[in-house]
Amino acid sequence: MSEFLSMSGYGKYLWPAFGLGFGIVVVIYVSALSSLSRARQDAKRRLEMQS
Amino acid sequence: MSWAWFHRFASPPWVYGFAARWTPWFGGAALLAMLWALYAGLVLAPPDYQQKDAFRIVYIHAPSATLSMAVYTTMAIAAAVGLIWRMKVAHAVAAACAPIGAWFTVATLGTGMLWGKPMWGAYWVWDPRLTSELVLLFLYFGYMGLRAGIEDPVKADKASALLAIVGIVNIPIIHYSVTWWNSLHQAPTRLLGKADMVWPMVWPLLLMFLAFFLFFGTVLLIRLRAELLRRERNASWIREVLA
Repeated sequence: MSEFLSMSGYGKYLWPAFGLGFGIVVVIYVSALSSLSRARQDAKRRLEMQS
Repeated sequence: MSWAWFHRFASPPWVYGFAARWTPWFGGAALLAMLWALYAGLVLAPPDYQQKDAFRIVYIHAPSATLSMAVYTTMAIAAAVGLIWRMKVAHAVAAACAPIGAWFTVATLGTGMLWGKPMWGAYWVWDPRLTSELVLLFLYFGYMGLRAGIEDPVKADKASALLAIVGIVNIPIIHYSVTWWNSLHQAPTRLLGKADMVWPMVWPLLLMFLAFFLFFGTVLLIRLRAELLRRERNASWIREVLA
């Protein structure tokens, strides 16, 4: 296991790179969902005000 | 040839329904492909004879870099379609692409820096490839800033579309920078035909490319729905989809 984590001595670069890359993937997904949720709430509020 | 299928993409309610139906399929496929490619890239692929295990950064860096350019190209094409055919949905696609592409560009630059340090001895050099990729990030920021800075949505669409179209010139510059100029960055790697890498290294990379494109499809469809809800807030179909 420690050999796998060490990645022939490059672990200190490889794991942060994967953490950053997939961290950004998560951020892109969460921010897209949050944008849709805000847009739905705004649209619902507008409809309630109209009716 | 019938263009009826194309005309449907000009209808915001149809596109909203299409996006809602396809998001889970794209998302599920992206997740499965990403997990499989991650396992294959980190565990199954053999280490490189020169770079050892550091080469595995390619499995996150290369798909991010490809997407940073592919998203911009999508954005510019959508912006051009919006300008030429005055399609509101096309402008919405372009607007939805911008934050996604900006994040992929940040991932490209960050993972590239973490690969550059052990290979080149420096996190950053003012190399043509790195510099043109940084310019791409500024183009995304410029596009989003311009949209945010103009209150009238029609004017914002037109102005930002022009910027997106002009900025497309940077995409071939990024791609060919490693062959046009002396560059520390490696030349493009052939993955198919006479490939520069052995197949056990190549297939996880191809799978990760597929996963990233599917992921882009997923988040684009989500952001497109948000964009359509904002733009069409006074339309009658909004009441039906929110009911």
